[in-house]
Amino acid sequence: MTRSKIIAGLFATTMLVTACSQSAATTAPSAAAPSAEAPTAAAPSAAPSESAAAAASAAPTACAAPAPFGSGKVKIAMVRQSGAGDYFQQWGGGAQKQADALGFDMQVYDAQADNATQATQMQTAIDSGVAGIIVDHGLADTMNPLIKQALDKGIPVVVYDVETTDPRVIHTTQSDADMATKVLTVMANDLGKGAQVGYVNALGIAPLDRRNVVWEQFVKDNGWLQKFFVGKFTNAVATDNAVLADAALKANPDVAGIFAPYDELTKGTLVAVKNNGLSDKIKVYGIDISNADLELMTAPGSPWVATAATDPAGVGAAVVRAMGLKLTNELQGTDFKFPAALITQKYLADNGITNMDQLRVAMPELAEASQMVSCWIQVAY
Amino acid sequence: MDLARKTARTRVQAIPMRERVREWTVRYGVIAITLFLLVLFLATEDTFRRPTTILSMLKYASVIAIAGLGVTTAMVVGGIDLSVGGIAGMAVTIAAMTMVIYNQIGLIAVAGVLVAGAAVGLVNALLIVRLRIPDMLATLSVMFVIQGLKLVFVSGQSVSSGMPLPDGTFAKGHFTADFLWIDNGFVGPIPVPVLIFLVLTVAMWIFLTRTRWGRIMYAIGANPEAARLAGIRINRYHALAYVISGLLAAVAGLILASRIGQGDISAGNSLLLDSIAVALVGMSVMGLNLPNAWGTSLGAVMLGILITGLTIAGVPYYAQDVVKGLVLVLALIFSFTLSRKRTRYVSAV
Repeated sequence: MTRSKIIAGLFATTMLVTACSQSAATTAPSAAAPSAEAPTAAAPSAAPSESAAAAASAAPTACAAPAPFGSGKVKIAMVRQSGAGDYFQQWGGGAQKQADALGFDMQVYDAQADNATQATQMQTAIDSGVAGIIVDHGLADTMNPLIKQALDKGIPVVVYDVETTDPRVIHTTQSDADMATKVLTVMANDLGKGAQVGYVNALGIAPLDRRNVVWEQFVKDNGWLQKFFVGKFTNAVATDNAVLADAALKANPDVAGIFAPYDELTKGTLVAVKNNGLSDKIKVYGIDISNADLELMTAPGSPWVATAATDPAGVGAAVVRAMGLKLTNELQGTDFKFPAALITQKYLADNGITNMDQLRVAMPELAEASQMVSCWIQVAY
Repeated sequence: MDLARKTARTRVQAIPMRERVREWTVRYGVIAITLFLLVLFLATEDTFRRPTTILSMLKYASVIAIAGLGVTTAMVVGGIDLSVGGIAGMAVTIAAMTMVIYNQIGLIAVAGVLVAGAAVGLVNALLIVRLRIPDMLATLSVMFVIQGLKLVFVSGQSVSSGMPLPDGTFAKGHFTADFLWIDNGFVGPIPVPVLIFLVLTVAMWIFLTRTRWGRIMYAIGANPEAARLAGIRINRYHALAYVISGLLAAVAGLILASRIGQGDISAGNSLLLDSIAVALVGMSVMGLNLPNAWGTSLGAVMLGILITGLTIAGVPYYAQDVVKGLVLVLALIFSFTLSRKRTRYVSAV
């Protein structure tokens, strides 16, 4: 009786050990880049001829990779504040594929939005003796001392959307100003000068603040009359802002257009416009793109006429390429903003696009595939 | 407990082999798993072998251990404190508000946080002792209240230097260097949080097992009615236990605040479950079957080794949770299933 219990205990320990080693083993190959996967990953990219070449296996690049690439995997770390949610999953997936294609052995740390954990993981990454560290989001006050520590030890750091002050950091971000400018230019063309407009935005969030700067300029330049400005950042942005926009529209049903510069805000605005039966009178302008967003934009009679966006997977891949170029000393400059692509309702309808895969094929510029390239780099995302 | 150990020892000699193996497993099971994990990761992961990794692993464990010591204290008197994570999170916001918004020095932030932690402990005690609400429900409610209050004070925003204030100005203060030293400083080669963790473990061990108050607390936990009949004012000791728990949770929060360097409103969210887990694992250390300071700290170190090792090995966080849960189950098997016989004569728990 008792012996069986002990055996059960020991058995459980053994199982545990096997579980540990197995999960370690299963993650290893994904980092070890099965090269057969690279061609399919590159398929939707800008250059179909290149992916055809890639199918022939071997190195399809125009020149040999400079050191430290070429002889074995280069170990780097990616320290992420969070890998959850549509945007971040796509971003991480693109980054991983590009890392595999470049010959990186990339260790990914995901802090699950716990900032203290991210600090601990950054410390572990620094101590693990990697050739470079990519930091994806994070609180400035938490990450900057650790980034400095890494740089002081001679480890190059590439950050994505982290506010940093150290001039040695390679800083990347999607260009909020560019996104806002592109979509607001369409809005200005559609509505003309002196139009009545509405605005749904939640200030206090860095990227939304940057979009706000552009909005204020457009309002001034076009002499628009801003009839309402509502919005707040909550755990359910779309739902909560639908209520606010609904109230604002009840009071101001005669606006010609609304700018809601974040797709969750745009979704809430769309609900409010529909609820008030104003779909054919008001045009909505948003930012970002996803499969869900495409469905909303292409729905019959949808008021969402234009958006500006980057492809998260493409951006994640471009950030990894930046690290590659940094390690080979090919990177010029330290501050990079990935430009956005303008996506209009008309374009989607004309080209019959209803999902992200189709959009990626139709708009290669969305993927930033021309950013951070060199003759030895095989773009993959 | 010394008596218990002695009884166990004399018994060991009289019992057959399989019993001795069982005894050994119950006593040293958790320690064996910890050593096993340590050796496993030392052998397989280069990164794990670096001294800096070990120190950063201990830094990670320190916060969980200190909050776990708080839970342990509440468990000693037969209760539980579910508000430790909430108190630690509140501590982060209070520290940030004191320094960033009210522009005060680090020492005042530390004092403010400790006072707040003790105050929440007192509220817990009041609800449990005076208003006779069951401990789990009382501390759970308090957890919600302080989580909400913390957000009310800062309008749901994380506190950082230069943030806009309601009156239209911007926050002028910042996290002071001496406050940031709490997590980032060293005393000799030892990181400050690890030192705090060791000092508090020893202090709590002495308090719980070598002082009259601590022993009385164990007596209350074992049998409150007997303790009351023996003339012990059990309410006072209950209150003391929750105040200590609140204070320890506040210390854990101070380290978190110093680590994050900003009034992060989500700080401390994951702390509650981890600290309860390590207190439970700690119960089975040495086959004591009682909440105890060394056990809790060892449990935290074990968790640190496990999480750090698995992270370095590239195991994703969701798989880590599975492993974490399995280890907890194993530890509970040691303390509840395998040691059923012993509990009968070791203590009344």
